[in-house]
Amino acid sequence: MAREIYAYECTECGTLHYPFKMRCRNCGELEPFKFKTVPLPKRGKLLTFTKVYNLPAAYEVATLGIAIVELANGIRVTGQLEVDDPTIGMDLLGDVGVVREEPYNRYWGFIFRAA
Amino acid sequence: MRDVYVAGIGITSFTRLEYPLAEIAAFPAMLAMKDSGLTGIEQVYVANMGAARVNHQTALASAVVDSLSLTPAGAASIENGPASGSAAIKEGFLAVASGMHDIVLVTGAERMREVNNLEATDFIATLTHPLAEYIYGVTLPSHAAMFTRLYMEKYGVTERHLAMVAVKNQNNAMLNEFAHLHQPITIEGILDSPEAMTNNPYVAEPLRFFDACPVSDGGAAVILVSEEVAKSIDRPLVRIAGVGQATDTHAVHERENPTDLLAVRRAAELSFGMAGLTPSDVDVAELHDAFTILEIAESEEVGFFAKGEGHIALEKGETALDGRLPINPSGGLKGKGHPVGATGVGQAHEIVHQLRGEAGARQIADARIGFTCNFGGFGNNVICLTFVREN
Repeated sequence: MAREIYAYECTECGTLHYPFKMRCRNCGELEPFKFKTVPLPKRGKLLTFTKVYNLPAAYEVATLGIAIVELANGIRVTGQLEVDDPTIGMDLLGDVGVVREEPYNRYWGFIFRAA
Repeated sequence: MRDVYVAGIGITSFTRLEYPLAEIAAFPAMLAMKDSGLTGIEQVYVANMGAARVNHQTALASAVVDSLSLTPAGAASIENGPASGSAAIKEGFLAVASGMHDIVLVTGAERMREVNNLEATDFIATLTHPLAEYIYGVTLPSHAAMFTRLYMEKYGVTERHLAMVAVKNQNNAMLNEFAHLHQPITIEGILDSPEAMTNNPYVAEPLRFFDACPVSDGGAAVILVSEEVAKSIDRPLVRIAGVGQATDTHAVHERENPTDLLAVRRAAELSFGMAGLTPSDVDVAELHDAFTILEIAESEEVGFFAKGEGHIALEKGETALDGRLPINPSGGLKGKGHPVGATGVGQAHEIVHQLRGEAGARQIADARIGFTCNFGGFGNNVICLTFVREN
């Protein structure tokens, strides 16, 4: 099964949130956990990006691409970027891969490449 | 609410300090007590971000109040990310304004050079969203870099403008004995010369080494008092006239317009509104330039310049020490340093110094109204303070 990253849709008003929130920012429903998970689309456009050289502990690579991407449904996400010469507005395709590795722990998230 | 005055100030050098964190908090507090002549402290607030994580120490305020032999005064630690300092000042303000206390000590301290650069960068990155940002290796320089790229696209800010902020603030820092960086730099050396890429490499494109503040240890303190106490001591009267705080989304990507810093705008509006003043009344300001782009963007959001025109004011020299509205005469975070939990108190220290006319070679002539912007997270928790010299 393909791995997914999920957005959270308020079951009261339908507003999509990413990341998760306890309370809907649109309708303010007070009953907790009134959200259903909705897989985020993988296609999107590059909103802004950087190539980072001074990485925090846990990254044993020379540089890392970081981006904010607007997905096809309008939801924006942060992710890693594997594009040699990125330009704002370019089409991207996201994959869900390992974005951080610690001893005994791996974290999965968006890795974007040129569509 | 009662009026609240700053009766005393103290600061350590912002640099690498080889003594324990509690003493970095206590040292400037003693200077502030000596400055004000007041020792009858009723309540202590200690601003700090990293004690538990970086220095393996919790309940810092209990250690500081004891080190200062101020027990049994009340004491509490305030952790609010890089805006801890101003958050502690806000608590101190409320304690005096409410009438609960007459004399409150606010001290901020950080000792983050105890760990190496990788760990320090990771420590600051823990303020990002744990699941939507941190796991990707997002750091504060990466947020600032992505923000800068959009600012360049939209408003025509260039690497040259960023370098101008760095040069201005490091030159100001040359005049500040407490500043971390006493290193004169030139546009030639960091941007134009063949050696510039070696002197000033990228840390997160398009931001370079000299676009970022140093990692500093340091402490700063203020003593906040009621009007009655302020008028009983022989010190210049500086009143905290406005306190504004606002927040924004935790994950930066959720902001509708990614070049807006809405929490800065709102915090400034609240601060000026409370003070009954406007941005054009300000004589001197300390803005949170953890990255050069932030000085430009904040100078717009707080209302000094129109959106997208901060870099033009910078170009014209309006924000220089001898300009119409000097910004970061202390050197700012860029030149003076950024011991995160202490920074907001350090900004207040500089403004009070300026409004008292005690700032020596970097004194802004006849400064009577000062302003600080302390920027927590990547703009998700911001506090702006307005100060007025009264006599």
